[in-house]
Amino acid sequence: MVEFRNVSMSYDKGSDVLKDISFKLEPGSMHFLTGPSGAGKTSLLKLMYLAHRPSRGEIIMFGQDVSKASRTELPKLRRRIGVVFQDFRLLDHMSAVENVALPLRIAGGSGPQINEHVEELLRWVGLDDRMNANPSTLSGGEKQRVAIARAVIRRPDILLADEPTGNVDPEMGERLMYLFVELNKLGTTIVIATHDTGLVEKIGASKLHLEGGNLLHIEGTMNDFEEES
Amino acid sequence: MSKSFDFLPHVKSREATKLLPWVMAIMVYLSALAATGSLLLHSGFDDWANSLQGRVTVQIIGEDRDLIHLQALEIKEVLRKTPGIRSVRIIPDDEITALLEPWLGVGNITDDLPIPMMLDVETDVDSYVNLEALEAKVKQVTDTVYLDDHARWLSHFYTLAYTIEYTALGILIMILLASISIVIFGTKSSMAEHKNIIEIMHLMGAHDQMIAQAYQKRFMQYGLKGGFYGLIIALLTVYGLLNLVQNIAGGLVEMPSLPYLKLSILLIFPFIFAALAMMTARITVLRELGRMV
Repeated sequence: MVEFRNVSMSYDKGSDVLKDISFKLEPGSMHFLTGPSGAGKTSLLKLMYLAHRPSRGEIIMFGQDVSKASRTELPKLRRRIGVVFQDFRLLDHMSAVENVALPLRIAGGSGPQINEHVEELLRWVGLDDRMNANPSTLSGGEKQRVAIARAVIRRPDILLADEPTGNVDPEMGERLMYLFVELNKLGTTIVIATHDTGLVEKIGASKLHLEGGNLLHIEGTMNDFEEES
Repeated sequence: MSKSFDFLPHVKSREATKLLPWVMAIMVYLSALAATGSLLLHSGFDDWANSLQGRVTVQIIGEDRDLIHLQALEIKEVLRKTPGIRSVRIIPDDEITALLEPWLGVGNITDDLPIPMMLDVETDVDSYVNLEALEAKVKQVTDTVYLDDHARWLSHFYTLAYTIEYTALGILIMILLASISIVIFGTKSSMAEHKNIIEIMHLMGAHDQMIAQAYQKRFMQYGLKGGFYGLIIALLTVYGLLNLVQNIAGGLVEMPSLPYLKLSILLIFPFIFAALAMMTARITVLRELGRMV
């Protein structure tokens, strides 16, 4: 599903923030991306959600080298990837419902069916009474839940999340993790960048550890998080 | 083809492009004025030129009014017998006085004023009249007769008309270029302002076309809205100016008739500017997006 082959990345021809990274993620697997601040977690995710191209190496996703994909190919590939950004990146002029519906509308969907689906998901993440609120009026945790709902609404093949539980209370954090695990069971490949070592240990999925732009090790297997949840 | 989807915010008070409809209104206003001026002058020149075509004016100068009157009769006979001349008419004194009064003032045309005798000669449209030969012929009656087929000053007139028309065309082109530049600037400003939104749209799989469509739709609306306001103000201005000129110039200069059919072309100006804004915004957005990942 995702394979990095000797990938390096730099911003504006500066020094490499990711250095000769190679790994392979199987379809339907779940992984945590760990490492200290500045290790390159967000940069690695940017490469995976096709916001940047690597300066060297190949990135194989969906059976093709996406680092060489043309601009016209990118939208189709991006629609198969769900992203939860660290800073949420919600559109302030749209309500929570509209934000979550955005991927569906971009894909050409319209009508009441979209709203039904979106409202159901927002209810599931505990935002039944905040559906028409604009992001500027939402708390950090609420924004995060809207961002997660937006990322999963289209049942992506790959879900990438950058610190998805950073702004929510432990109970909601577990609830959201349960959502990720359930999505993973449905076949979605999931990569979560996090500092939350407790969460990593609790779920016990495989771990990609980055330090100074180098991938140090991949370890771990999935615990039975579902039963605990 | 991506489905059209307006994802851009509608917070007018904060938008970089909030003044764009006003700019477009001013551009359409100036364009409409330039075009109206050009059309009016063109129409006026055509009217005057047509009224003078196929006509020759004969002027007999002399202080002895009775003598030049006799010479006028003799020249009239000579001209009447000349092939290619359809009619000859001695312009009566009161008609000449009426022509001069707006310039010299009523009551200022006295008997001692050396007013020439004038003949209005109409030639066949299909025939060619050799003015030099004709002048040589009538000069046998008197040396103080002069013929004028208005060709010389008409040629100056045409030069002036063409100069004014090409100047108006140049102004129109400059206004269009300025409008394109403003739309490019506005589009780039708006894209910079909404960079985050565009990035999110891209990352969620929006095609460049979808983003361009949202911009082209918005800029087309700006063009139409501003264009109609500009056109209405321009039409009011033209109406007011024509009334003013007619009141001031009544009698001195014959006002050209309003070419309503040609002026109706002004009605498409807002659409032209809207289409221009739309196309410019679309090209600008696609070019800018092409530089992104």
